[in-house]
Amino acid sequence: MNFMQIIRNTKWNTIYKKSLNKMGMIGFSFLFVFILSCQETKNKSGKLNVVSTTNIFTDLVHHIGGDSIQLQGLMGAGVDPHLYKASEGDVSKLANSDIIFYGGLHLEGKMVDIFERMKSTNKITVELGAALDTNQLIESENFGGNYDPHIWFNVSFFKQMADKVTEVLSETDPESANYYAENNAKYQKELDELDVYIRAKIETLPKEKRILVTAHDAFSYFGRDYGFEVLGLQGISTATEAGVKDVQRLRDFIIDNQIKAIFIESSVPRRNIEALQKAVEKDGHQVEIGGSLYSDALGSTDSQEDNYIGMFKYNVNTIVEALK
Amino acid sequence: MSLFNIFIELFTDTTLRTITIGTMVLGAASGMLGSFAVLRKESLLGDAISHAALPGIILAFMFTGSKESYILLIGALIVGLIGTLWIRGIIHTTQLKTDAALGLILSIFFGFGMLLLTYVQKLPDANQAGLDKYLFGQAATLVSQDVYILGGVTMFALLVLFLFWKEFKIMLFDADYAKTLGFNVKFIDILITFFIVLTIVLGLQTVGVVLMSALLLAPAAAARQWTNSLSKMVALAALIGALAGLIGTGISASEDNLSTGPVIVIVASALVLFSFIFSPIRGILFQQIRLHQNRNNLEQMKTLQLMFNIAVKHKDFTHPHSIGILNNFRGFTKYSLNKMVEKEWIQISGNQWNLTESGFKEAKEMFHSNTKDHE
Amino acid sequence: MEKDRIAIRVDDLTVAYNYKPVLWDIDLVIPEGVMMAIVGPNGAGKSTLIKAILDIVKPIAGSVQVFGKPYKNQRKLVAYVPQKGSVDWDFPTTAIDVVLMGTYGSLGWIKRPGLAEKKAALEALEKVDMLSFKDRQISQLSGGQQQRVFLARALVQNASIYIMDEPFQGVDATTEIAIVNILKELRKAGKTLVVVHHDLQTVPEYFDWVTFLNVKKIATGPINDIFNDDNLTKTYGINYKVAIQK
Repeated sequence: MNFMQIIRNTKWNTIYKKSLNKMGMIGFSFLFVFILSCQETKNKSGKLNVVSTTNIFTDLVHHIGGDSIQLQGLMGAGVDPHLYKASEGDVSKLANSDIIFYGGLHLEGKMVDIFERMKSTNKITVELGAALDTNQLIESENFGGNYDPHIWFNVSFFKQMADKVTEVLSETDPESANYYAENNAKYQKELDELDVYIRAKIETLPKEKRILVTAHDAFSYFGRDYGFEVLGLQGISTATEAGVKDVQRLRDFIIDNQIKAIFIESSVPRRNIEALQKAVEKDGHQVEIGGSLYSDALGSTDSQEDNYIGMFKYNVNTIVEALK
Repeated sequence: MSLFNIFIELFTDTTLRTITIGTMVLGAASGMLGSFAVLRKESLLGDAISHAALPGIILAFMFTGSKESYILLIGALIVGLIGTLWIRGIIHTTQLKTDAALGLILSIFFGFGMLLLTYVQKLPDANQAGLDKYLFGQAATLVSQDVYILGGVTMFALLVLFLFWKEFKIMLFDADYAKTLGFNVKFIDILITFFIVLTIVLGLQTVGVVLMSALLLAPAAAARQWTNSLSKMVALAALIGALAGLIGTGISASEDNLSTGPVIVIVASALVLFSFIFSPIRGILFQQIRLHQNRNNLEQMKTLQLMFNIAVKHKDFTHPHSIGILNNFRGFTKYSLNKMVEKEWIQISGNQWNLTESGFKEAKEMFHSNTKDHE
Repeated sequence: MEKDRIAIRVDDLTVAYNYKPVLWDIDLVIPEGVMMAIVGPNGAGKSTLIKAILDIVKPIAGSVQVFGKPYKNQRKLVAYVPQKGSVDWDFPTTAIDVVLMGTYGSLGWIKRPGLAEKKAALEALEKVDMLSFKDRQISQLSGGQQQRVFLARALVQNASIYIMDEPFQGVDATTEIAIVNILKELRKAGKTLVVVHHDLQTVPEYFDWVTFLNVKKIATGPINDIFNDDNLTKTYGINYKVAIQK
């Protein structure tokens, strides 16, 4: 083992290290360029650039705006709006838009500051929940002034929101106002039909079985409107943790009322409801998982439930069939 | 609900029972295996591995599309082990010391995990998998299956611990020496690390990524204060861990809106604080008491010496003197004088004191060399 | 004196950390029955030499033979006394527990120390005059007492070769004398002693062989032949006079 061999080894390693550095630099440059090129560019087609949050609202805006607008939704199927954190890409989409529609009432709990920022730059930022009369909303027991944001499960609210969207689009783009009005009229009819369908379907379920247990308190408006008693494991926002007491309480409730089925939701951890089911079973009773309901988001594109009306029908069908 | 009733309910209510047993077993396992992390001065390792596990959970979901917890946890285990390997690798091949390596891996992996979380929230099934619940854990959804797995792993760990007890001991104390005896130190090292990572991963469901390291370290740190024997320390750590689980679950179950995981960690930390202050051998309180006692003893001895030097100037050493003579001596207090009366070294009547037989003897033996010098 | 067997033979041993040579091409022959001091300035590689012999540190070249066979096959014949500072004395264990560790090698995996081992440990503690401290927590021992416990642990191994790393560092005068006497007894019994020593002054007094080390082996052999100004200068530079200043 002589000195020269060691020296040679040393040189090799230095060169290896140096080349790694060069590779690193090149790699980083590529990444940088890539990120830069991902910037949203303002659309050149001349259409209104509209951005909405959950795909429920996106569906609504789509039915009114149709081909006259360039519409983007931030949240897709199965995405939980309560916990959703906007990425830089989302913020630039919002910044480059002409109109922003969002649910509000703290539904998009982690984006409140962003909406404030957008409003302060005089961008048209519309809180759909604010279009409704607060007297009709369900107010929180403990935190007055805060309302349940799951307003889309009341069809008449949804109709009011459709009117609001029409109003805003028409104001901003008067040329297409007629087009928007037509779409709205058509959609209002469909929504009325939906309401009829829901009531008819629910009629087939005996009154005493109309109890709905889900993963979080998303269905209060549904319950109030259509005569269901509704309980959620987590609270109004999925940011709350299901505590032991909540599990115990619901478990006892399920057993006392001999409830046949409970429901998971597509955008909420299923583990909670599964744990509730096991808790009930441990006490010697049976309860099924009746299915997965769409609560804060629609189903995936190209499924039957990728639109509001389809989703609502699916929910009601699932609920009624499971509880019969 | 009264305190007693709460704790009865912990074991009678079926749901609570599962959760309570689960947290107690987890606490015991964490205490047991955390002892090794603490003794190896690798406390931060637990923190690094828990945080590193986050991307593992998310990647497992992304690759398999499964929302089953055992699959997610296998992902956590694999990435946790990779993180550990990288930590060792960094320490061995670069100039970085252990704490730098740990901090580096912790931040990089956890940051990557958070990045994945924001990316994955757009994927359809992600929320159903409840990925971000692993940050702080969700003890309320522990089911029997989880508890069985926890129990099984703990039993296995106990068995291994029992078999290889002396190997663990010597490896923790003096790894170099152990090598010279022919022990495959690497094997034991991997064994310990594997169990630590496993425990961390199992604990993620209950206390979550961010808090797991506290559960790993607190019981062991508390136990260390109460004993100087390794076996007692490990056993005590397991006990303290289980206790934290029990009390934590009890407290969080009695109130709405108290997350179980964080409460368990707070209870464990309270136990550590208690141990640091009140432990008889190493606790601060008793150290202060002992310090105080020593100071008092010293004071008494010095006073006695002074009295002795005064007394021997007389033929009869029990000759009384006025207390006033001692005034120039800064070391005496009424308290020490009384103590000396108690010990029957001196007698006091009015403002006079005199040395007793036993006091004289005591002083003479104490300062044997002094008297020699004077003669 | 005739030295027939070679206790330790080191050939071409080279150790490097981060491309910096710490030990360079060491050739060393340690005959059986000598009491050898290894001396050199700071950073000379003395501890590294010990650790490389004991396979604790991997050399990049070279070999070590103990009584003619590779070290790995002869572990039972060699007892190691590491530096006091290499261990955390706050570890929860007692003096006798530490000494018992010396028996682990002969027990092998899983087996626990039994009565025979306990007896041997007690005898070793007695020899180093620490029997009354056997149940003392090691953090409560003084530096000299800790060193004695380490020595007792090595004694229990009944080895033929004892390798010690600075056993007199930070130790009171009484303990130093006591340890030296035990070492001398060992040598009388035919054991080989290799000791990294920090105090040049006592080298001729305690040892009969010496190795001068400064990354390279400067010189090795009996004290009378090797411990001279020439080698001292070669090893320490012109500062050696300071090193052995009274």
